[in-house]
Amino acid sequence: MQLTDGEKRMLNGECAPGIQKAVELLVKLGDSFDAERLVPISYGHISYDLCPEDFWNLMTEGVPRTPHRVTTHPSSQPETFKAWGLPVTDQWVEEHARKLERFKQLGWLRTETCAEYLLGIMPQKGDIVSMGGSCMQVANNSLFGARVDRMGVLVSLAAAVSGRCPLMGLLLQENRYASHLVELDDLDVTDWTLSHYHCLGYYIGDQIPGFRPVAVNGLPPNLSFDFARALVISMPTSGAVTLGHVVGSTPEAPTLEAALGNRKPEQVIRVGKQEMSETWERLNVWDDDIVEHVSFGCPHATIDEIGRISALLEGKKLKTSLLIGASVSVEALARHQGYAGIIEKAGGHFLPVCPSIGNPFTRRDIAGHKQAKSAATNSARSAHYLATVSGVKVFFGTEEECVKAAITGRWKGEVPKWK
Amino acid sequence: MEIRAHTVSAGKAEGQALVYKGPFSFMGDLDPTTGKIPVPRHLLEGENLVDKVFVFTTGKGSSGGDCIAWMAKENGNVPSAIICLESEPVLSGAVIITGIPTVDRPEKDIFELIQTGDYVKVDATAGIIEIVGK
Repeated sequence: MQLTDGEKRMLNGECAPGIQKAVELLVKLGDSFDAERLVPISYGHISYDLCPEDFWNLMTEGVPRTPHRVTTHPSSQPETFKAWGLPVTDQWVEEHARKLERFKQLGWLRTETCAEYLLGIMPQKGDIVSMGGSCMQVANNSLFGARVDRMGVLVSLAAAVSGRCPLMGLLLQENRYASHLVELDDLDVTDWTLSHYHCLGYYIGDQIPGFRPVAVNGLPPNLSFDFARALVISMPTSGAVTLGHVVGSTPEAPTLEAALGNRKPEQVIRVGKQEMSETWERLNVWDDDIVEHVSFGCPHATIDEIGRISALLEGKKLKTSLLIGASVSVEALARHQGYAGIIEKAGGHFLPVCPSIGNPFTRRDIAGHKQAKSAATNSARSAHYLATVSGVKVFFGTEEECVKAAITGRWKGEVPKWK
Repeated sequence: MEIRAHTVSAGKAEGQALVYKGPFSFMGDLDPTTGKIPVPRHLLEGENLVDKVFVFTTGKGSSGGDCIAWMAKENGNVPSAIICLESEPVLSGAVIITGIPTVDRPEKDIFELIQTGDYVKVDATAGIIEIVGK
C-alpha cells in the first residue's frame, strides 16, 4: 500500500504508540482488500462503550487531541443503572468512567447517539467518514451520500485515532451503484407509518446477499426523512446491507438509472402484500398478550416522535416500563417543550442507550431479577435484537399500538390490512 | 492436497476442520466464554470452534463482531484458523486484530474437498491450504 510521509511516520511510531498500532491495523486490513492507499476521514464515529478496555488502552496510548471530530455511539449508563438499583458491578462502573475520561481528553464529543444528524452533526455528500455501528453506516451512506465502508467497532477506533481509513469498498464510486433492485408490487403506501417502513427494510435486508448496495423503487418521491431512515436502518439487521438507495429521495438516487449506474441489476426482488405480512408476523415472537416493557427510539427518537408519544400519554398512567432511546440534546428539547414531563409523569424514561442491544429493562445481565420478560416496539431493528440479544418475547406494531400496550399492559396489535 | 487461497490474516495453524456452508458473525454465532455456537436451530448448534479450522462462506452481521472476537481470543476461545469463500471488512478486521490465520478466495471448491473432521494445515502467510488427512 502507498503511504504518505506523514503516514509512514505514524507507522514508524513517531507520533504515538496508539497511532502506530492503529495504522498497522488499517494497513493490514487495506492490504487484504487490495486497497491502494489510506485516505483522510472528515470525521469518525466510535463506541467507547462496546470497546473492551484493554483494546481501548492500546489504541489510545499516547494519542494527543485529534484535529478531526470524533463522536460516539449510544452508550450504557452504568452509573444511572446503579442509581436505579440494578445489580451492576462496580468494576463496570469504573471501567466505563475511565474510558469516558480518556474519550473526553482526546477532545472527542460525547454525543452518545446513533442519530447525531439530529444534533446538526452530519457529513456532506461525498465526505469520507469512518463509523462503527451498522445503523450509522447505512444511514450516513444512504441518506447523506457520505462514503462509509462497512467496518467493525474496533477498526472504527483505529480510524478515529489515526484520522485515516483504507480506500476500499463503498468509498469507491464503482462499488456504490445498486446491484440489487427492489420493486414494490401492488402496495399502496399512503397510510404507512414508521413501522411499515421498518418491516419493508427488514424484508429487503434478508433478501440481499452480503453487503451489496440495493435500490428501492416505487415509493413516493421525496419520501420523508423519518420514513427513509426507518427503511434503510432495518436492512443491516436481517442482513448486512450498508448502502440502500431510495429512488427519488436519497442523494445518489435521483433516478433509477442513477442508482443503478445505468447498469442492469443482477437481481430484481419484488415485495407485495404477502411478503409484508409474513415479515410483520415473523417480527412478532410471543404466545400470550402480556406486555411488560415498551421501547421506542431505534434509531434514536426525533422530537416529532416524542411529541406524538407524549400526546398519546397525556394524563395517562403506564402499566409497563417504557424507554425512549434519545440523545441528551433531543431529550433536552423534549423537556423544554413539555413533552418529557408528560411522558415521565406517566412513568416513562429517557436514556441515551441503544434501546435494542443495550436495553437495561430487558437485558438479564443488567436488570437481574427485574428483567422484563416481554417487550413491544415499533422498530424492526429493536424487535430483532430484543428477541436475540435479550431473549425476551417481542410484540412488533405501530407507535399507537405500542403506546396502548404501555397503558394497558396488553397487546392488541394486528398485522395491517395491506391496500 | 494443496489449495491456493488469498491471505486475509497472516500466520500458520492447523487442526480438525469444522465445515459450515453458511455465513458467520462473531457477534451472536460464538459464545466468547465457551467457544461454542450458541444459536438455537443452527446446523452447528453446540459445536465447539476452539482449535478447529473453521470453514464457512462469508462474514455477516453486527459491526461489534470484532469486539466479541477480541473477548473470545482473550479467553482462548477462537478457532485456530479460518477458511472462507469471501471475507468482508468486519470479519477481516476481527481476524487481523486477533491474529487468527485466515484465507479466503480458495482456488478450488473447499466444500467439495474439505469435510468436517479432516485434518487441515493453513499457511495464511503463503496462502496455502493443505488437506493432510481424511
